[in-house]
Amino acid sequence: MKRSLINIFLSLGIVFLIVGCGNQNEHLAKGKELIKSDKRRKEERAVREFKLAIQQQRDNAEAHYLLGFYDSQEFYENDLPEWHQASIAQRGQHMFKAYQNKPREYLEILVFDTLRDDDINVQNAALEALTLVYQQGDRKQLLNQLEKAIKSKDNRDRHDAHWVMSNIGRSDPTTMVPILVDLLEHNQMGTRLNAVKALGEIGSENAIPVLAALIESGSAKRERDREVAEVRQMAVAALGKIGGNAVPELVKITQNKGSSLRVDAIRALSSLGDEKAVQPLLDALKEKSSREIVVNLKK
Amino acid sequence: MTKNILLVLLYIIILITLGCDNVYYDEHLKMEVQQLDSDLENRWSTTGVVVSSIDPNGPAEKANLSEGELISYVIGEYSIQNPSEFKQAVKKAMMNDNNLLLYLKDKDPIRIATRKMGDKVGLVVEGSGAVRIKSIMAGTPAANTDIIQVGDIVEKIVDERKIQGLDDYKKSVNEFAELNATLTFRTTELIGVKIAAVTALGNLGDARAVDSLIEILKHNRELALRKAAARSLERLVALSELNPLFQQFQRENLNQLPADTLDSDQLVSAEILGLVLVDPKSNTATLEAPFGIQFRHRSEALHQKVNEGQLVELAEQYIQKLNEPEQEIRRACLSILANLKPVSAIEPLVQVLRDQDEIPGIRFQAGLGLSRIGTPATDSLIAAFNEGDTTAQDIAASALGNIGGTQTRDFLIDALETTDDPATQLTLVDAIAKIGDEPSLSALEQQRQRFQGDNSAIRIFLDEVFSSLTTSQE
Repeated sequence: MKRSLINIFLSLGIVFLIVGCGNQNEHLAKGKELIKSDKRRKEERAVREFKLAIQQQRDNAEAHYLLGFYDSQEFYENDLPEWHQASIAQRGQHMFKAYQNKPREYLEILVFDTLRDDDINVQNAALEALTLVYQQGDRKQLLNQLEKAIKSKDNRDRHDAHWVMSNIGRSDPTTMVPILVDLLEHNQMGTRLNAVKALGEIGSENAIPVLAALIESGSAKRERDREVAEVRQMAVAALGKIGGNAVPELVKITQNKGSSLRVDAIRALSSLGDEKAVQPLLDALKEKSSREIVVNLKK
Repeated sequence: MTKNILLVLLYIIILITLGCDNVYYDEHLKMEVQQLDSDLENRWSTTGVVVSSIDPNGPAEKANLSEGELISYVIGEYSIQNPSEFKQAVKKAMMNDNNLLLYLKDKDPIRIATRKMGDKVGLVVEGSGAVRIKSIMAGTPAANTDIIQVGDIVEKIVDERKIQGLDDYKKSVNEFAELNATLTFRTTELIGVKIAAVTALGNLGDARAVDSLIEILKHNRELALRKAAARSLERLVALSELNPLFQQFQRENLNQLPADTLDSDQLVSAEILGLVLVDPKSNTATLEAPFGIQFRHRSEALHQKVNEGQLVELAEQYIQKLNEPEQEIRRACLSILANLKPVSAIEPLVQVLRDQDEIPGIRFQAGLGLSRIGTPATDSLIAAFNEGDTTAQDIAASALGNIGGTQTRDFLIDALETTDDPATQLTLVDAIAKIGDEPSLSALEQQRQRFQGDNSAIRIFLDEVFSSLTTSQE
């Protein structure tokens, strides 16, 4: 009885081992092992393993992802073929290949993990990959994930999502601007703030009316109709980034004597350098100083 | 059915009140006021309402109130003719904020405040026409000030009300109007807005701003605003000096030109001001968007305006400590003169240079301005050297070294041979070395032999001068 139990366990173990080895690409395993180790130049050596792993299995999602993640131009001399292969665009391509092979898994990793990395090059490679997803992959799925991230409770997620959305939005404002405009209704302040920021960075004049309305809500009588101060300040800064037809809107704010954002609007106009700002600013200088005025009401 | 009509009516009423609930038409003053942005209080500590429009010939217009003024306080004045008016005025005044201002004949106004609503002020009055204090109740706020005495004549009671929003405004004006009180508005100016506007006008580089900024510098009472105006004028002058550079772009109607076709000093200044990007590799100078590109259309007008003369006159006046106590403004005006280099500024600059009550840094800046004016300033600088204190000698010698020329050189060499003050000697050596021609060098060589074997600072300095000269020749 005892012996047969041991036999069963043993044979099961062997089966698992075989199955495991078959799935696991040995170069991939070696590369991952290196990353975990504290060996010298471990990342450079791991990258070599990941490249071999891809040679062995062209569709290995993890190897592509890790190559995109760890490869770096610092490892090679300028202008060598390897140096070109380690460009941000190429690293993004590898991350995108990981996505192509395992879309669900890697989309989530790219949005919620890779973008968070401290290395700006890794962030840029992820942005490159996500841009490719937008162009060639499941756009709807990507937009869902980005919306999930910009609505996240975590500020870093929201910031990363705004960054990707503003980058994609710059080349395709017609899709992205309406999505961001809808987000202005979201009940979380941080989400609205990042949406406004992205709208400014995209620079589409289509966003001007909704930003203007948001700014004006500050003098609404009921508190729940008012947008909070930070978001409204950000909206003025966004108008300053959009420029062009946003200039008259900014001028209007500088002329609204009851607005708390006049100084912000003036600063935005100052950096835009538009000649249309000069006369309203000269008018502002003529405003009356503090004083006491006696009014006669007696009939 | 009737229920439905009522509902619709209710809905319409709600819509109407919602639609215009951040403005209020004041029947008494015949004007419209508007709710302030909710953040003004947090960001600028300002509350109140803003005047959005004024009817012609109404009380508001007659009082010379302006659109855009921000009303932060509504102040009512109750004149007191009998004890019941006194009682009512006190009650009304205390109701809002538990404090009032009491005006007694021949005395300063007294502020009386109670701790909580309903507490007694503690004054009983009598008489009609002239109302006098009859008694003061012990333990009340009135008894705590020893200014109020029985028999004092009450002139009036003043009720200052801080306005938080439309509701406060409505309530206060209505009450004061009802009681036939005299009404005073205290308005608030948001000085931050004007400072931002002044700074922006300096950045925008437009000729139209010059007169307004001069006006502020001359006549405004707010120091912060005057400082901002001086800084902006300084920047406008610096921008206007780049006109020749921007005219080259304007003539070609291009935003990019080969860098080697442009004046290199001007390019450096323009780059520092963030207007141009120079790429030595591709030999290009590119106007930076947005301002650099826009400025080429404005630079000629600005240049003309700046050189009309009133700015020089202003700066010559405001570099004197006697006329302008604020050193930041004096510095800005010195910088304006150093840029414009008018010969008329020589005497005022020499005055600053020789002013022993002035900060040394500013005296040096005046010397720098004189060396920018150049040869015409030589005689005045020589006079300043001969007559001034050691600091003046130091600055004048250094400025003369910058200007150069044979007359200057000979004067400096002569001065070096006759002076005994070690500090002045050092400055003279430095100035002569800056001129650096054959006679200068042989004069310095003579001095080196004179101080041979000496361990003084002057000999060490002379050695340094010669070793740096030989290395630069190599």
